[in-house]
Amino acid sequence: MDQQGQNGLMKTYRQGYRSRGAMGYVAAIGLLAFYLILYFQDKLGVTWFDDIAAAMGLENRWYLYGFLYCVGMVFGGAYYLRHHGNSRYNRIRIAVNITVQVLLGFSLPFVMHLFGERDFYFSYIWPLKIEYLYPSDISQFPIYIIAYSALASLLAMPVLAYFFGKRWYCSWVCGCGGLANTFGDPWRHLTSTSTRSWKFEQVSVHSVMFLAVLTTAAVGLDFAIGNQYPTFHAFAGELRSWYGLVVGAILAGVVGVGFYPLFGPRVWCRNFCPMAAMLGLIQKLGRYRIRVKDDMCISCGNCTTYCEMGIDVRSYAQQNQSFTRASCVGCGMCAHVCPRGVLKLENTWSLNRDKHRQGLNVLDV
Amino acid sequence: MNIVIIGNGVAGVEAALTVRKREPDWNVTIISEESDHFFSRTALMWVVCGQMKHEDIEPYERDLYARLRFQRVRARAVGVDVTNKQVALSGEAAISYDRLLIACGSRPRPGPWPGSDLPGIGHFVTLQDLEWLEAELHGGPSVSRPPRPEEHLPRSSDDSPYRVRKTVLGERGGSAQAPAVVGGGLIGIEAVEVMVAAGLRPKFFIREEWFWPMAIEPREAKWITDRMASHGVEVLLEHDLKEFQGNGRVERIVTNQGEYPADLAVVAIGVVPNTSWLAQSSIELDARGGIVVDDQLTTSDPSVFAAGDCAAVGWFDGSRRPQQLWYTSRDQGRVAGRRLLGDTAEYRRGLWYNSAKLMDIEYTTAGLVNMNVEGEHNWFFEEQGRVRSTTRIVTRGAGTDKDPVIGFNLLGRRWDHAVLLQWIEERRALRWVLKNLRRASFDTEFVPPLSIPSSALAATEGANALEGPAPNPYIKGPTAYPYS
Ligand SMILES: Cc1cc2nc3c(=O)[nH]c(=O)nc-3n(C[C@H](O)[C@H](O)[C@H](O)COP(=O)(O)OP(=O)(O)OC[C@H]3O[C@@H](n4cnc5c(N)ncnc54)[C@H](O)[C@@H]3O)c2cc1C
Ligand code: SF4
Repeated sequence: MDQQGQNGLMKTYRQGYRSRGAMGYVAAIGLLAFYLILYFQDKLGVTWFDDIAAAMGLENRWYLYGFLYCVGMVFGGAYYLRHHGNSRYNRIRIAVNITVQVLLGFSLPFVMHLFGERDFYFSYIWPLKIEYLYPSDISQFPIYIIAYSALASLLAMPVLAYFFGKRWYCSWVCGCGGLANTFGDPWRHLTSTSTRSWKFEQVSVHSVMFLAVLTTAAVGLDFAIGNQYPTFHAFAGELRSWYGLVVGAILAGVVGVGFYPLFGPRVWCRNFCPMAAMLGLIQKLGRYRIRVKDDMCISCGNCTTYCEMGIDVRSYAQQNQSFTRASCVGCGMCAHVCPRGVLKLENTWSLNRDKHRQGLNVLDV
Repeated sequence: MNIVIIGNGVAGVEAALTVRKREPDWNVTIISEESDHFFSRTALMWVVCGQMKHEDIEPYERDLYARLRFQRVRARAVGVDVTNKQVALSGEAAISYDRLLIACGSRPRPGPWPGSDLPGIGHFVTLQDLEWLEAELHGGPSVSRPPRPEEHLPRSSDDSPYRVRKTVLGERGGSAQAPAVVGGGLIGIEAVEVMVAAGLRPKFFIREEWFWPMAIEPREAKWITDRMASHGVEVLLEHDLKEFQGNGRVERIVTNQGEYPADLAVVAIGVVPNTSWLAQSSIELDARGGIVVDDQLTTSDPSVFAAGDCAAVGWFDGSRRPQQLWYTSRDQGRVAGRRLLGDTAEYRRGLWYNSAKLMDIEYTTAGLVNMNVEGEHNWFFEEQGRVRSTTRIVTRGAGTDKDPVIGFNLLGRRWDHAVLLQWIEERRALRWVLKNLRRASFDTEFVPPLSIPSSALAATEGANALEGPAPNPYIKGPTAYPYS
């Protein structure tokens, strides 16, 4: 078996459901409807998902959703492996990501619940799972979980991101990223690579991050002193529920997954995820980068096309420029699809590593 | 200052960018017959098979020309008048220049055999070839067409490589079912891959004893040929073409070994400088049509420069001929840009290197890797474990592991050619290179590193060590070499 190099991408645009053909729109409408009903069933006055969950012996629709999520990741993972599984990085990464989701993102909380504990998702941390640093919420958990939650989001998250880039979370652990890279993989080339989309991303993702920090601070402050200031208490409650509705339900769920077949699988991760924004800032200062081989790029555009975050990888590669972009989730696909082996993901130890290497053949005389 | 650039390819566009970076106010005009937008010619195959859209192979966003105030003329240049400093255009008024860059690229070498003009036979070099092949294989374009694809046609000419080839979809009654590719080189294997991706089983006619003897040797070629066969390609080695036959469209290919049915043929037997339109101008061309330039890319006229595939530039071995490569064209374009600005700048190509993907096998080469050259030795290792790869290292000298390494030919793994070239320049001995080989690895993460058993370390092979195939027919003797 070959260990690297593209295969299985050849027909991408000849498959209608992958190239915004009619089937692509049908898929998007289906997904949007699914999420709208899932999140807003009370407003719509239906209980379909709760009924199905009950019929399956699950307590409520969220366990059903968790189950479907795992099914989506497993089948999507099979699709992914069939298309990109000849690369060892891809195989290991996707296997870890699916395992984390199935065990920590579904089975363990389910079992905790069976044993009468409050269920806790070890694979989700603040600020993605914003409640996990809301004092009012986390204080309901046993002390070891409180310690875990604080250490994971305030210590492990930045330290690992410094050394390995944000990929340690976004491409190896996270459930949103996991679904994007498995179930969403058929649509990865649909992410826009235009400069406009980049500008939008920078504003939107950092705004949500700011909002997440603000909301957490407000809810925390409210926990401490809210009972003395009723107006502030009301404000914090409003902020919290608006953040939950807009970011948690609409952006992460409905928009984030519903638009997979039209705008690619990382709409949420790229434009709205506060965790991705934070990890990205740390990544910029850290050791992770994409290394570019000198004078070998043929500007073909495979890397840019298949970047799920819409990074114009080619624009760096054709300038012989090793680079780190805040949004890069380190999925490794650019290196995988590059027909000339120009790109390599790496965690460098010395940031000057390729000083000695030759430059352009342009000489001043 | 009036800068005119003929060619919207990588050489022309890089030159224009270089000029614009320093001179915001100069007039820069880009003349191109082929397309409105700069695209990556190296990526044609992925558009045909559906891996990328047409926009995806354009390295810059489409507002580039407006943003950088490049004027575009979509027309065919038919001559250069160096006395009056004018470029003549077909069907349009001539354009005056103060400094001119010719970056008109290559055109496919036409088949020399009877019947080569039959409909259903084409090449795979230009945007129009791409559209033709897409139509023949899939009945039409995959998802998108470039803007204004036919804008130039009324003013094109019969001998232009950018005219549109007629498809034979109607006569054939649908898309091709029995395609063939003629010519065992890089463009040939790309055409084969495109046909495989379309679910077809192409015939691949190769004149030589094995695939691509210019660059690879029989053991390496066998792996590639086997890989093609496993994808359903019928590889026909030592087939010398005699004739294309057919009634109104290609139906049969006749070779020295027999007759083969084919309803589509891509002829990929190399490219030649695209300079026939310059024949009546006073710009000097060499015997093979390359534009004669000095190391500063100046042509026989001091205000006219040439860069890219059409320019006969200096090689490391002292010869002067075109270097038909993407990144050399790009570098030449940058040098030409500086020349258009009035700077002195020189184009110098270091040692040879290249990379390619042969079906799904990746290939890197650096330095001199010809086989069976007197006084040169090969160290060859075939890895068969979790990773399959071949490593061939060429040395020059007595045949011991103290000989300096002069070349690498590597299949299956990824390597950093810059490190390999540096070792060649430093005249590193084979023994040292084998010990340090991992430092040049560019494999993706988690790929187990190449490990060479100690028993394999000592064995180098002398010239003609290979049984069976004759020495590389293209190589007469040792190539002049600057570092030994
Ligand atoms: C299928 C294929 C695969 C390739 N793969 C690789 C690869 O993997 N690696 C690699 O290094 N190289 C590869 N090459 C070679 C590489 O593409 C060329 O070396 C490179 O594109 C040359 O660029 P250029 O700017 O010199 O010319 P071109 O890209 O050929 O551009 C020529 C320009 O000149 C214009 N023009 C020409 N004549 C006229 C005229 N009379 N009037 C007006 N305009 C005119 C055309 O419109 C066009 O814009 C490949 C080539 C092909 C065909
Ligand atoms: S880095 Fe690789 S995939 Fe990207 S444009 Fe260059 S050659 Fe193509």
